[in-house]
Amino acid sequence: MSALGRVVRTPIAALEYANLKLTTADAVIGATPREVVWTHRGVTLWRYRSNDRSRAVPVLLVFALINRPDIFDLRPGGSLVEYLLREGFDVFLLDWGVPGEEDADTGLEEYVCDELHWGVRETLRASGADEVTLLGWCMGATLCAMYCGLDRQGESRMTRAPRDPARPDPARLDAERAARASPVRNLVLLTMPIDGRCSVYAKWTDNEAFDPDHMAELWGSLPGWGVDFANKMLKPVTNFWTTNRKLWESVQEGTVKREAQQSMAKWVADNPPFPGKAFAQWLNWMYRDDALITGRVILRGRRVKLGLIDQNLLVVTAQTDHIAPRVGTMPIFDLVGSEDVTHLDRPGGHIGLIAGSKAKHEIWPDLAAWMAERSDR
Amino acid sequence: MAERSIKTPEDTARELYEQAESQTAKALEELVSKPSFGVMFAQVAENVAAMARISTSVADMLVRNLRIAGRADITKLARQLHRTEDKLERVLQEVEELRDELTAERVRAPGSARNGSRSEEPAAGDVPAGADDRPASR
Repeated sequence: MSALGRVVRTPIAALEYANLKLTTADAVIGATPREVVWTHRGVTLWRYRSNDRSRAVPVLLVFALINRPDIFDLRPGGSLVEYLLREGFDVFLLDWGVPGEEDADTGLEEYVCDELHWGVRETLRASGADEVTLLGWCMGATLCAMYCGLDRQGESRMTRAPRDPARPDPARLDAERAARASPVRNLVLLTMPIDGRCSVYAKWTDNEAFDPDHMAELWGSLPGWGVDFANKMLKPVTNFWTTNRKLWESVQEGTVKREAQQSMAKWVADNPPFPGKAFAQWLNWMYRDDALITGRVILRGRRVKLGLIDQNLLVVTAQTDHIAPRVGTMPIFDLVGSEDVTHLDRPGGHIGLIAGSKAKHEIWPDLAAWMAERSDR
Repeated sequence: MAERSIKTPEDTARELYEQAESQTAKALEELVSKPSFGVMFAQVAENVAAMARISTSVADMLVRNLRIAGRADITKLARQLHRTEDKLERVLQEVEELRDELTAERVRAPGSARNGSRSEEPAAGDVPAGADDRPASR
């Protein structure tokens, strides 16, 4: 477009840009029909309607605590849920809800040992299946990994930790695995942080001035906008300026994809509060103590040992992920006990890899194919 | 011969601007990744939290002096409801498990009769194992 053309188009573009921004809240997200299966506190287990549930193992989707899980079902035509339903999967979604001040004392043990565990239970009951595929994304993937690595024998309460918890005794792990029967057949972990030492968050939080417990006490539940602001500060110019500039340019050139832009913008702006106790535990365990990879996370008296993960495992990392850098995911491969391990490392960012416009053609078919191969009776 | 594209002044200006923006972005990313930024960020967050707490406490005090339930009262009530819901959930799960066990036993009973034990007619309304007659959601 010529310079003159751009000048002439500016008032119309300004109107359209304002309209895009002002009507973002009206964008339709999470539109795939679904039904409530189970609720507890603010947590809801949804089951998506389908008349083609041809796979024997249902899929349970789990997202992070700091954003809404609508990203799995962003918009018609651009929805992972829709895609999985078309592929014949029975799809469930565990929605953590929007915690209030009264949830300030909800910790990761409540999310993993109660809500996730009960979500799996209810998924099995509703589907009539014996096993489930757990698909976690971002922090949701970490919670799923914790759940699968939870020592259900309660031994950690009685015995001392191994000398090198990161590499526990294989014979003992085999015995522990044999002793427990996990209902999770397949575990899919998308852009998952497990070792936060390499991230900017570690630099922010690993100093005396920052005490997550004190912060949790002050705030009760951390406001969603605060967590969102902190995340955006990782790339301040890109998040606060470049995104808007590029949107303006695409409006001016008439190339803006209105539905895609608005649905993503609406999802990004919807940030539920982060319960204080869970916030403090997350920061301490992930970014200050390396507790998860060194096997020092204890939930309800039970140690989380990533070595106990023996499910068929698919790990997806994004090459330009700045929220959960791939280097912070890689230690999982040295820790898990799974025999069937697949790693997909693709170009893309933390969210864009799975929810971007190219995902439908580039990553979803691979996810579905991997799960389909492992979802027979 | 390949046609060379001619850069207009507008293109040059745009290129320069994008270069400047990308360099600023990199510089700021480097800045925010310093531990000292973390210290500053922590202090700002603490100050904002303290201010928010003072203002909500004052507002809450005013509301409670008017004999209206304040935020703290509602939070306390919500916590009590949560505790009750937790207990109810555990009881429901126990009931469901007991019902499943009972159903499985009743289904097993005719089989054991065929093996020579005393015959037991299944009660009317017995449900086969696996059938789910609970409400669609709870």
